[in-house]
Amino acid sequence: MNNTSTKNKRRKIDLKLEARYGYLLVAPLMALIVIFTFFPAIYSFAISLFHYNPFGHQVFFIGLANYDSVLHSGLFAKALLDVLYYTVVVVSIQTILAFMFAILFNHKMMISRISRAFVFIPAIVSSVALSIIFIWVFSDQGLINYFTSFFGIKPINFFFSTTYAFPAIMALNIFSTTPYFMIIYLAGLQTIPRSVLEAASLDGVKTGWNRFRYIYAPMLNFTTFIVVILGIIGSMQLFDQIYVITDGGPSHATYVPLMFIYNRTFIYFGDVGLSAAASFILFFAILFITLMQRRYLKETRWT
Amino acid sequence: MMFGNDKRGKLFRKEKGVKKKDVYDMLLSIGPAKKVVIYFLSILLVIIYMLPFYWMFLKMFRSSIFAHFPPDLNPFSLTSLGNFIVNFRDVISFGSFPLWYFNSVFVAVLVVSGSVAVGSAAGYAFARLHFKGRDLLFYAVLATLMIPFPVISIASYIFMLDLGWISTYQGLILPEIVSGLNVFIFRQYFMTIPVDVENAAKLDGLNPFQIFYRISAPMARPAFAAATIYTFIGTWNNFLWPLMEVHSQNLFTLPLVLNFFKGVNGTQIYWNEMMTVVFLTLIPTLVIYILFERYFVEGFTLSGVKG
Repeated sequence: MNNTSTKNKRRKIDLKLEARYGYLLVAPLMALIVIFTFFPAIYSFAISLFHYNPFGHQVFFIGLANYDSVLHSGLFAKALLDVLYYTVVVVSIQTILAFMFAILFNHKMMISRISRAFVFIPAIVSSVALSIIFIWVFSDQGLINYFTSFFGIKPINFFFSTTYAFPAIMALNIFSTTPYFMIIYLAGLQTIPRSVLEAASLDGVKTGWNRFRYIYAPMLNFTTFIVVILGIIGSMQLFDQIYVITDGGPSHATYVPLMFIYNRTFIYFGDVGLSAAASFILFFAILFITLMQRRYLKETRWT
Repeated sequence: MMFGNDKRGKLFRKEKGVKKKDVYDMLLSIGPAKKVVIYFLSILLVIIYMLPFYWMFLKMFRSSIFAHFPPDLNPFSLTSLGNFIVNFRDVISFGSFPLWYFNSVFVAVLVVSGSVAVGSAAGYAFARLHFKGRDLLFYAVLATLMIPFPVISIASYIFMLDLGWISTYQGLILPEIVSGLNVFIFRQYFMTIPVDVENAAKLDGLNPFQIFYRISAPMARPAFAAATIYTFIGTWNNFLWPLMEVHSQNLFTLPLVLNFFKGVNGTQIYWNEMMTVVFLTLIPTLVIYILFERYFVEGFTLSGVKG
């Protein structure tokens, strides 16, 4: 009797000690999160309700007027629609390509291992460095025009053309993000047990297309969900490539929401409240699309 | 396909000498025709993916600043080590290139060590220790994954202005340390380590911190590797935050340098020197990639992104 009660006491002290260490170990992280993520997020929302000029020190409350003026500025609306269009094109193409690459490189062959290591390289290269290389790739002396010249097509200076600049940016980002999502698919493919493939091949599922249709696609349902969500979140925040290559031009052909936000804050040194409101609208757009996606996919079974 | 079927037929006929496992291997085997297709497509993709980098590499060894048309892809024409040395010298004497390189290394090392230290400790606590509000705090960490950086960037910038941290190392480093993904990777990994090991250590009188530090952390090497690699590459390549934070050339990190160098001669990019700068900024990421290639897939498996 006595023995168990001391044991219980002992255990209580242990738990208390454990809790104390628990708080100690999460404290640094939580402090940083509160200071550098949650506080700026709330601060950002607060700023969006003010006319806020940090350089001229004019600050006054104006409610939702910033949101109103952002939505009614034709430029931001255009930028938002453009980035939505960009997202639809890029995410659908890169998801399909990433899946195809992953299936191609999932073989237990030397060549698959080596080539997937090479193909992954753009995913680790800085977006600025890659953008600069692609300024050349799409320039009138570049690689693309070199190949099209074999077919007698006249050289196009892609990034200086209002029609081709945005598609060229899309091509660049499909090129560079596909390998990243390919790796996610490869990680997924490796979790499919061999026995499933064996059993299926006894049932006659042997060809590539049937395997894709009846095994890979249904089993990697959740992976596809992740790839699409991450793709959307990344694409909606398109900035680096635009800033480095076209700076939003020519004549706003590649103007995206982050470009609007950046220019409003740093180039026109104007009203930061307006930029904050614009960034929240972008955030809600991303959130809305992700939630819609989740809802739509809810009916499909996770496996 | 034909070949595959033939082989299988033969195998089934002389079943006696063949183990069951071999038969299954044969069922999934890849016929020669399919092998040719795999080889062809793989090599084609490698060529497509490597061509831009190949040109970058050649351009470093050339003396002309222009990108000529048609592109000269012959590795032996007009390339020489002497040209590379001249380009290299021009680049490192441009502005304060050594300082800029140091800035990138310094920021990346501090962000990585901070993020891994803070993330692994918290990940361990979330995986193993029991305390009030643990789940709530973990949801708060997950919530940071839902907040895209640009949303907080304006306010972070104003915050830095208020603190007087514009163009400072702490302004570049501290806001970058939080990584919800790292916490998640560590938590997932620590949960897979058997509890028995830790219980034994507890009986030896180690406190939870000592158990984390001496027993569990050394066992979680793959998680540390994955977190280190991803954080390093992310920080090394980060552009938007340094672009907002740094208004003085003394604090430039390499992505800012690349962008600066691109525009320094007006509209004409000096391609040979430019590609040398690009290559120099790629070296650390390439080295890390070559050394730790296998952890890249593992990282995704660890973070629970799987089928």
